[in-house]
Amino acid sequence: MALGLALPILGPVCAPAGEPGSDMLTIGAYSVVREAFHDGVLPAFAEHWKQTTGRTVRFEESYNGSGAQARAIESGFDADVAILSLSADLEKLVKAGLVDSSWNNGPGRGMIARSLVVIGHRVGNPKAIRGWEDLARPEVGVLYPDPKTSGGARWNINAIYGAGLLHGDHSKGLGPGADAARDLLARIQANVVTMDASARHSMANFMRGTGDAIVTYENELLLQRALTGTDVPYVIPAATLLIENPAALVESSVDRHGNRAVAEAFLAYLRSEAGQRILYKYGFRPLDPALDVDAARRPLPSRIFTMDDLGGWNRINHDVYGDGGMWNSLFTQPALGK
Amino acid sequence: MSHAARRPSGLLLRSATLSYLSVMVVLPFLILTIQAFQPGLTAFWKALTNPFAWHALKLTFATALAMVVINAVTGTATAWVLVRYAIPGKAFVNALIDLPFAVPTVVTGLMLVVLYGPTSALGAILGQHGLRVIYETPGIVLALMFVTYPFVIRSVQPVLLEMDRAEEEAAATLGAGPFTTFRRVTLPILWPSILTGTALSFSRALGEFGSVVLVAGNRPLATKTAPMYIFGEVESGNLHGAMVVSTVLLASSLAILIVLNLLQRRRGGAS
Repeated sequence: MALGLALPILGPVCAPAGEPGSDMLTIGAYSVVREAFHDGVLPAFAEHWKQTTGRTVRFEESYNGSGAQARAIESGFDADVAILSLSADLEKLVKAGLVDSSWNNGPGRGMIARSLVVIGHRVGNPKAIRGWEDLARPEVGVLYPDPKTSGGARWNINAIYGAGLLHGDHSKGLGPGADAARDLLARIQANVVTMDASARHSMANFMRGTGDAIVTYENELLLQRALTGTDVPYVIPAATLLIENPAALVESSVDRHGNRAVAEAFLAYLRSEAGQRILYKYGFRPLDPALDVDAARRPLPSRIFTMDDLGGWNRINHDVYGDGGMWNSLFTQPALGK
Repeated sequence: MSHAARRPSGLLLRSATLSYLSVMVVLPFLILTIQAFQPGLTAFWKALTNPFAWHALKLTFATALAMVVINAVTGTATAWVLVRYAIPGKAFVNALIDLPFAVPTVVTGLMLVVLYGPTSALGAILGQHGLRVIYETPGIVLALMFVTYPFVIRSVQPVLLEMDRAEEEAAATLGAGPFTTFRRVTLPILWPSILTGTALSFSRALGEFGSVVLVAGNRPLATKTAPMYIFGEVESGNLHGAMVVSTVLLASSLAILIVLNLLQRRRGGAS
């Protein structure tokens, strides 16, 4: 997705797998978890693995846009563990016979992290942004990436689409349904300043001062404090989408590398309390709400919904982003009531 | 034919060079074209007339055209000044002119956003007067002007240097003003080199991605150029749609370069 992120970051040249007392794990992840993994989860797991087995684990890390990472693994990149943005991308690996079809039956239904689609705004909220409807007002410049190139953009756009689909478009008096979803999306899209190739790129543009509001994941906004030293204030719309990011074992790679034990332990660690606390520290919402110690300050919205509530990824990819889908029609046909 | 060309070593060199050209240039282009036409002519036409593809192509050609008109004038003027006037630090100025070739195109885009973007002082002033540059069409033209800046200058400059100034002087002594002299005497000599420079700029601009992607805004049916459309279709899995548009861009560039070569050859043969 992002050109800058397309190059895999490979760790230092590592000891060959099979060397006594040492394990090797190849991580194929989507770009958003880079900081949380490289600085947080991976060192902590190495420590944990040393304590429980006495063995050293080394990592080879690759971070890429979710769709591009899935394609890379599909075409031969031998990651032992795939961590992707959307389950639709993991399903591609299932279809290719690389990931077991039961990947989402285990703990956490295959997910490792959660987040919310939120709206970041300027300090002091000069444009008084509270929810989706405010992004459609004239003179509000909106940023989100291009859903053609960014899986993250699809989460963002699905949140707006879902708010209309499930809860209607109040300013137009439209009840819940596809018309309301289309109208809300069309009016917000008309305010979009630039559609960057990736969520990271959009964020960088917003931090440089472009636009009044950015639609992105909560964890990406919370991470800005660590990355740039500035807090980005944000609002959680009353109706928004719960983001769930999956991870799974890549059977073919694990079989070839003979490192199933450490790969399984790593996936279990990601879902353990220790792993979840680290992801939480990097801005993600934990799978177990009890670990969300800050929930009082940033409570979950009242009308939260999931991809399942919207009919699942396959349906949305067809209805919204497919040929003749709603997304294309926003540009070829004028918005309702305009 | 020269003596060297008839020797076996000459034959070897020729076939090696042509094979190299085939492998480097012809083969990739051929594969692309075959893949684009594989699903049939109807599918090709459908992918080409898809409103998003068609608009992206129109935008690319329109912005490239706007750029070459500007570059033809400013490039000729720059070459003129460089050759005919004494400028302090001419060697340095000459080096500066080629700099746009050396700058990574992403850096070009970044520089333009920092300079003219809505958050910059200059961008804010322009915005107040209703001229938005970055994330709008003028930004695309600006990026193309930058990346193709040296072409016209570098093709006009040597012609001006070698030009025999006796004709201009004759025109002047016969009472022609400087403008008439330029139009009637100088321009006809410069014309082919201006055309060469603009044609090279144009075909370079058709494929420009790195700088444009940062300044265009990427909005479908508004500021998404053909190379950006191609990138989006590749990333979202529509390889055929991407290849069809690529084929059109490449075929256009090839046609321009062939016409250019024919024109030069005819001129070469006549003189």
